[in-house]
Amino acid sequence: MLTYILRRLIQGGVVLMGVTLICFVIFRYMGDPVQTLAGQYATTAEREMIRQAFGLDQPAYVQYGRFLANALQGNFGVSYVSRVPVLGLILERFPATFELALVAVSLAFTIGLVLGVVVSLKPYAVHNRLIMAGSLAGISIPTFLIGILLIMVFSVWLEVLPPFGRGETVTVGFWRTGLLTADGLKHLVLPAATLAMYQLAVLMRLTRAGMREVLAEEFIKTAWAKGLPPFKVIFKHALRNVMIPVVTMTGLQFGEILAFAIVTETIFQWPGMGNLLLTSIYESDQPVIATYIMLAALMILIINIVVDILYALLNPKIRYD
Amino acid sequence: MKNVLLKLGIVFCLVLMATPALAAADLVVAVDTPPRTMNPHGSDADANLSVMANFFDGLLQLSGGEFKPALAERYEHPDLLTWKFFLRKGVTFHNGNAFDAKDVKFSFERLSDPEVSEFTNTGKSIDTIEIIDDYTVVIKTKEPIPWFANNLHQIFIMDKESTEARDPGEVGQKPIGTGAYKLVEWVKGSYLRLEANENYWEGAPPIKTVEVNPITESSTRFAALVSGKVDLVTGVPVELYDKVAANPKLETINRPARRAIFLALGNAPGAPAADIRVRKAIYMAIDEDEIVEKVMRGQATPTAQVPDPATIGYNPDLQRYPFDPAKAKALLKEAGYENGFEITLAAPNDRYVQDAQIAEAVAKYLAKVGIKVNLDVKPKSVFFPEVQEGKHDFYLIGWLDGAFDMGRTYFNLLHTLDKERGYGTWNGTRYSDADIDRLLQSTTHIVDQAERAKTLQELNKLAMTDKIAWIPLHYQQDIYALQKAAQVKFVPRADRWMVYKEISK
Repeated sequence: MLTYILRRLIQGGVVLMGVTLICFVIFRYMGDPVQTLAGQYATTAEREMIRQAFGLDQPAYVQYGRFLANALQGNFGVSYVSRVPVLGLILERFPATFELALVAVSLAFTIGLVLGVVVSLKPYAVHNRLIMAGSLAGISIPTFLIGILLIMVFSVWLEVLPPFGRGETVTVGFWRTGLLTADGLKHLVLPAATLAMYQLAVLMRLTRAGMREVLAEEFIKTAWAKGLPPFKVIFKHALRNVMIPVVTMTGLQFGEILAFAIVTETIFQWPGMGNLLLTSIYESDQPVIATYIMLAALMILIINIVVDILYALLNPKIRYD
Repeated sequence: MKNVLLKLGIVFCLVLMATPALAAADLVVAVDTPPRTMNPHGSDADANLSVMANFFDGLLQLSGGEFKPALAERYEHPDLLTWKFFLRKGVTFHNGNAFDAKDVKFSFERLSDPEVSEFTNTGKSIDTIEIIDDYTVVIKTKEPIPWFANNLHQIFIMDKESTEARDPGEVGQKPIGTGAYKLVEWVKGSYLRLEANENYWEGAPPIKTVEVNPITESSTRFAALVSGKVDLVTGVPVELYDKVAANPKLETINRPARRAIFLALGNAPGAPAADIRVRKAIYMAIDEDEIVEKVMRGQATPTAQVPDPATIGYNPDLQRYPFDPAKAKALLKEAGYENGFEITLAAPNDRYVQDAQIAEAVAKYLAKVGIKVNLDVKPKSVFFPEVQEGKHDFYLIGWLDGAFDMGRTYFNLLHTLDKERGYGTWNGTRYSDADIDRLLQSTTHIVDQAERAKTLQELNKLAMTDKIAWIPLHYQQDIYALQKAAQVKFVPRADRWMVYKEISK
């Protein structure tokens, strides 16, 4: 197990290097940061001076090497836009995104699982067919449309939920949380629902398909024949065998939401990392984008390893030696 | 297990109850662009200066369209290079430090450091800064800069002692100025909370607390307003204007923006556009009234020039060439382009209101007189560097002069490219005209405002009417919307800054 994790970590390191290299290549075509750094009225000579001050006049491989060397020491440079250290800028936004992603994935996981089980038990009942049709809508309607529709209905017409921001937050240590205030929770409802919609539909369909397969197996028939209570048959015997793909999917989704909740965060003006990434892309703030993508890759890597470990717990037959 | 859950539940409820219900601010505003930094020299974008103007003061201030004293009570301009400022006494910074001449010297010297300043152009133009006594400073510039004083409302004065003592990252997040408001809290991407500076030298501002929410997505800004979460929004998008105007709870305020949208067109020898008749034909082929009506949905004002009425150099006598495609065709025929020619029009697609759509409309009009236009529309982060590199000889761009003096803008955008002297940095088409350059250079030694205005107006007429150096289109419109119930007394500024000491209830 330990060697397995170690091997995964080394592979991850190589992936991270690759990611940064690709970032740097893309930046060459993304616009000139001097444009962001120089004032509107800077002359050509002044622009050259700025280029030198920030080391942007050096060849790309020198810039890349310097970035890597600094990153290894935990120094990711200074944002071209706000001129403060990049790492702090991103980490400051992390709690907002993490809370949003956590709530969204929990919603998607519990509701998706329950609905998937319910639907699989009587697949041809009318209400279950309606749920299935609804899940298609969840998969196919784009996030920005869901977000705007939810805002229109719940904020503009019904005026029950706020359309933007995190509301009142409380700071616990370095962590600014919206989960501990009523106002903060209210602000969380719409963006979390928007973000969960697609994931919920996917998880539900996945659970349903797996359940239908497992419910037809011999051992389930035996369980029923033994006279076990339905709760035990469905959840202990059947569902447990469906969990592996569902957990994998949830893990992947969590990583994805955490790293790329950009659209939802922008629509709801959620002060998270996705919001920062989008603003930084508009402004060609390369240090922020590069660091962000590295951190996102790192996060997804860690989540994948955690999912691998969860496999072993769910199915004792799986071993990583 | 049950016990633990119960305890957790109780703690959770207690936390919920213990959270102080924070009173909403006296004024809640949603703006379209977030501030980048709290370092007052770190960005020269109006969106950032707009926020800084609340925490900091310049030597002068712009109020009601006029330059008025701020941290300098008065100034003298004894010769072309010398500016002498007599500073206000008894002003203190938010941290209690007294304001005096050393802070002015420090702030102006800081402008030259590219690591912390986007005003390097102003910083490098200064030769010496001399402290005569605690409240008198003399600044000498390297060359005559007639608009030097007109820039002083956006050069903010910082506290020397605390700025030097603090780390630059901290300076960029916690402003210490002399301004009418103090920053209480800035949660990036979320909100800024401002609190009145009760010791402000002009008297404490009427509105005591302000919450500023930058909301970049326009439909969300609209929802925030309609749902009553904010009192005032800036940047109402043209496509939602009718909805806002029709809402009985809301009130809209429109004013022509300072920014003019225009087409820059090169005149390289041999190119069709080197012929004045071709330039005139392109001008007359464009139906600007229809662009305003259809593309801008009525939210723009056609213009015959680039400066807005508040800028020195604005010429009230200029008229647009009329829309006349038949005449345009005749002019093209006269110039020998009866069968038209091909040209590429570049434009950004994320910078100005309906920018890409305007470019499409222009292409359509020019096609009708036989000019085939290839559109090259791209994001601003790619477009602007290309413009500076001189890649495009026909493009759509917008401009306004922050110093309210067209001299500076003409040197930047219209003068023949001269890297040595720093002229024509933004003249992307490499347009060049000896008459314009000569007349423009003669203005650097004119300090008398009336005489400057006269010469710059003459230059404006020469460039717009006789030479058609640019093809002006329209001024954008600034649209604000307010909750009627909030009863906010608000007069928008020409520069779009939100200066909260000017707002009352």
